[in-house]
Amino acid sequence: MTAGTPASEAAVEARVRAEIERAIQRNIKGLEYLTTADPAMGLTPKDIAYARGTLRLYHYRPLAEEVYRVPVLLVMSLVSRAYILDLAPGQSFIEFLLRQGYDVYMIDWGVPRPEDSGLRLEDYTLDFIPDCVSRVRADSGEPDVSMIGYCMGGMLAVIYAALHPEGPLKNLACFTTPVNFEGMTLFHRWCDRRYFDVDRIVDTLGNVPPELIYASFEMLKPAARPAGQARLWDNMWNDEFVRSYRMFDRWAADQVPFPGECFRQTIKELMWENRLWKNTLTLGGRRVALSSIRVPFLHVMAEHDHIVPYESAKDLTAMVGSADKREVVLKGGHVSLVAGANASRRLWPQLDAWLSVRSV
Amino acid sequence: MTDPRIPIADPFAMWREWVAQSERQWNALLNEAMTTDQYGQSLGRFMELYLVMQKSLGEAMGRYFTALNIPTRGDVLALGQRLSAIEERLTRLEASLERLGTARADGEGAAAPVRRPPRTKTPAPAGGETP
Repeated sequence: MTAGTPASEAAVEARVRAEIERAIQRNIKGLEYLTTADPAMGLTPKDIAYARGTLRLYHYRPLAEEVYRVPVLLVMSLVSRAYILDLAPGQSFIEFLLRQGYDVYMIDWGVPRPEDSGLRLEDYTLDFIPDCVSRVRADSGEPDVSMIGYCMGGMLAVIYAALHPEGPLKNLACFTTPVNFEGMTLFHRWCDRRYFDVDRIVDTLGNVPPELIYASFEMLKPAARPAGQARLWDNMWNDEFVRSYRMFDRWAADQVPFPGECFRQTIKELMWENRLWKNTLTLGGRRVALSSIRVPFLHVMAEHDHIVPYESAKDLTAMVGSADKREVVLKGGHVSLVAGANASRRLWPQLDAWLSVRSV
Repeated sequence: MTDPRIPIADPFAMWREWVAQSERQWNALLNEAMTTDQYGQSLGRFMELYLVMQKSLGEAMGRYFTALNIPTRGDVLALGQRLSAIEERLTRLEASLERLGTARADGEGAAAPVRRPPRTKTPAPAGGETP
């Protein structure tokens, strides 16, 4: 259509009308946005199967008439809230798993208390996770368990699997799990041992406060917040966009403290010495050799992950000793890989296809 | 006749494109600056200052609260620790009672446990992949 013709004028007029309509809607919905609370999340019905300190082992109520034999245990990261995997009905990874016929359990680490500042990687991988695995076995009556770990939860699951090669793990799936900490370029530079006094931080603060964790994630993409707010204003008329924005924004801002000793260990042994990648990490007197993992293994990474970049995660599959292993790189970022509309089209069906045949 | 090859200039689309481009450019620019030694050094100094402030503020508040006969953060944390210990013991007691109850119920032929779906599901023939 040529600019200046009656048809183009009509198109411009329609466009202007639509924009005026949107501008009005923006004002109305904008007011709604400011006056209403954030949407509730993590609502899939569940029971507490086990509690220990701040740890909660949840068992989700089944949503299928029959379930696969092998129960699934989700392991969350230490630095983020577990409800990212259970955002809202229709956008919940957990709800998806339940509808597909999995018996789902999840380890939620909760919010560490000041007295938890002494917790180390050993506590998580040699005590808490094995404890929860045995509870899942007892509760389900099944001898083996599949495990899914997200981000740092994937790293804990991988370390657990390497330290317990005798079982009872059946399958291990990891999402965006770092193994080579030199690949986390920005974090690596910020924690430069010449300037970053981790001992002083932990000795002074105990647990690392959530504001510091949040600020470090924000610094990875410093322009994302203003641009995100501009997009929110632009899409204020779109209820679905606003709902999704609020859920992700609330989750991103809802950080938890990092247990002090575990932070010290992560910085010194993983970030500085890169011991997991070099196969020299020792926990509880036992070497963490990823090659000793023999169970079917899946690693899914995100193409545009700014928190766990591809470089830091790509070697994991090669290092694992399983004969049955697979690596997938999907479009999306660190969070959109596992949650939201894109995840429901990309990651979830892929995981189901991989896990279902290995869960009988 | 209209020519579909000539698009109508859409200022809103141009603005969205500008936002996306600016975000990418600013992120790239700032990320580059953040990988420098100077930035690492400044971050280290900032953390040092933050810790000094936290420490002196904590100490000053502690003295102030003690003078006013109000519990300090340390006192509240100590109480919290004791509460956690009680909570843990209660959880253990609860679990023991549950086990005792289950054992007694088994002996007396009590009601059936909560119904759970059978673990008989198999993957759909068309779906899934070959392990």
